[in-house]
Amino acid sequence: MSRLPLTVGIIANPASGRDVRRLTANAGLFSSTDKVSVIQRLLAAFGATGVERVLMPTDMTGIAAAVKKNSHGRQARDSHWPTLEFLELTLRQSVADTRQAARWMAERGVSLIAVLGGDGTHKAVAAEVGDIPLLTLSTGTNNAFPELREATSAGLAGGLFASGRIPPEIALRRNKRLLVRIPSRDLCEVALVDVAVSPLPFIGARAISRGIDLAEVFVTFAEPQSIGISALCGLWFPVSRQAPNGAWMRLDPQSSEALLVPLAPGLLQGCGVLAAGSLEPGVAHRLCLSSGTLALDGEREIEFNADDLPTVTLDSGGPLSIDVNAALAYAAQERLLAIGREHPQHPLNLAL
Amino acid sequence: MSTQLTADQLLHAYRVMRTIRVFEERLHVEFATGEIPGFVHLYAGEEASAAGVMAHLRDDDCIASNHRGHGHCIAKGVDVHGMMAEIYGKKTGVCQGKGGSMHIADFEKGMLGANGIVGAGAPLVVGAALAAKLKGTDGVAVAFFGDGGSNEGAVFEAMNMASVWNLPCLFIAENNGYAEATASNWSVACDHIADRAAGFGMPGVTVDGFDFFAVHEAAGAAVARARAGEGPSLIEVKLTRYYGHFEGDAQTYRAPDEVKYFREHNDCLMQFRERTTRTGLIDASQLDQIDGEVDLLIENAVRKAKSDPKPSAADLLTDVYVSYP
Repeated sequence: MSRLPLTVGIIANPASGRDVRRLTANAGLFSSTDKVSVIQRLLAAFGATGVERVLMPTDMTGIAAAVKKNSHGRQARDSHWPTLEFLELTLRQSVADTRQAARWMAERGVSLIAVLGGDGTHKAVAAEVGDIPLLTLSTGTNNAFPELREATSAGLAGGLFASGRIPPEIALRRNKRLLVRIPSRDLCEVALVDVAVSPLPFIGARAISRGIDLAEVFVTFAEPQSIGISALCGLWFPVSRQAPNGAWMRLDPQSSEALLVPLAPGLLQGCGVLAAGSLEPGVAHRLCLSSGTLALDGEREIEFNADDLPTVTLDSGGPLSIDVNAALAYAAQERLLAIGREHPQHPLNLAL
Repeated sequence: MSTQLTADQLLHAYRVMRTIRVFEERLHVEFATGEIPGFVHLYAGEEASAAGVMAHLRDDDCIASNHRGHGHCIAKGVDVHGMMAEIYGKKTGVCQGKGGSMHIADFEKGMLGANGIVGAGAPLVVGAALAAKLKGTDGVAVAFFGDGGSNEGAVFEAMNMASVWNLPCLFIAENNGYAEATASNWSVACDHIADRAAGFGMPGVTVDGFDFFAVHEAAGAAVARARAGEGPSLIEVKLTRYYGHFEGDAQTYRAPDEVKYFREHNDCLMQFRERTTRTGLIDASQLDQIDGEVDLLIENAVRKAKSDPKPSAADLLTDVYVSYP
């Protein structure tokens, strides 16, 4: 039997990075052109680390088209891009496209999926791919799950792992998740970073831009340097990604204690703090409001009323992701990127 | 910006969207009889955009529309019978029956006109915004154009000038996926129309045009910005049209189940009804009552428009730039 080519997937959310926070805060733009260049940096890194084939979905915003066009260029040839294969989707221009692409990649047995998007995009991919590791890249507005990182070095870490040169116990980390359940509506949704309970009655433009629109927050982890809803806990009750527990906070504008929080880029909001504590795994929490909206990973997604009685539960069943720092530290220690005399890019082989 | 709308505001928004839907569905039927002159381009499916933006505007705020303008007119408060009579080419129309579907205008309501020239509304709106700024009012001006219009030079020039002069302007790109029969993902080079805002130094956002609340929230933020003297914004509203580019368009360029899918999954009216009644802010019977009132309104508008008189030959020489003896 012939060996299957070493294959990884790349999923870029074409919609990320252009929501209402350009109007309500000072969020920047992550254009389709920028996403194309991030993918091409990944392809160069994958090509250099032995990945043979890359799967990508098509999209309505020209990302796949531009990558395909550029795959015939000199850069692609000189940096030995992997072979590209595109999935022809019936595009719905919603999260359904991301989920469909992720399922297709899982069926094709990819070693790794690189995800370009925000917390929401990563959550959608994670829901479909089981234990296929994610290489997370932030192209959203304010993200906590994917770190802000240069795609070339992230791609090297991912490629070295996919090609078997970094052991999983070094390269991979298991993430926590939050499960939101409404049994009467047969609903079970996942969040990777935070669930916020808001008195706002409608999903609207999704982002939450005011401190007074938050009543309660649950987080899987909260880092002080983060931005967005998890920054609230990050600056009051921080919890690391590795800790088994998460955190919760209850908020009230009438509270005497308050905290200044960066809810979005350039947007600092005062939030009244009532109480905070550790969120233990496996315990289903009722919400402090009987009706309102639930924001999962920063975006209002679920409208609920008094009949719904949603619960939030922390568990350790989140996706595997590449720990880029740990993977590259190992690569340095083992000199994994050292090249021999036969390598075409060895300086002695370059025709100067 | 929050979405804390009062029950009255919610009911008004529903009435606007429902009026547009029934108006357009009825025109679809009536146009097939051959009684209506010229072309009509129907707005059905896109109602949340007009209603969500116009909820923030006053009569002294100006808008300029495009060829698909009925929804913008209704949402801006133009009289429904006056519009219907105009489309039928009758003397009782808002432009005395001499404009037709693509030239409905009503300055009293700040409606500068539908427009048969693609992208031509944007420069008009820059003028209106400049007027508001020079007069020192806090009025705003809003240009509606489509994905096709977003490729027009006039729109780029208007966006540039609005930004250079820091004018109280909104550019609303209603991206329904097709410029006539040409797919926007083929013809719009940067694909996300909102991304173009960066080139003109203004914020650009994309919103779900099937969701009234999403449009309402983004437009509210942009209007507040404009009224506060902070300059123009671009909002790309992603939506779909339920009918062809014009009535009679065979739509061979669309996937067979495309419209069916959107009607079943992304109907702004259905979504609005489900969500407002579930929150308990609105009772379904209140919406049913509006449905009945709107049906009657449109029925009366059509019946009256059909029996209204046509303009006379002498009317040809009125309302023109040159006076004739």
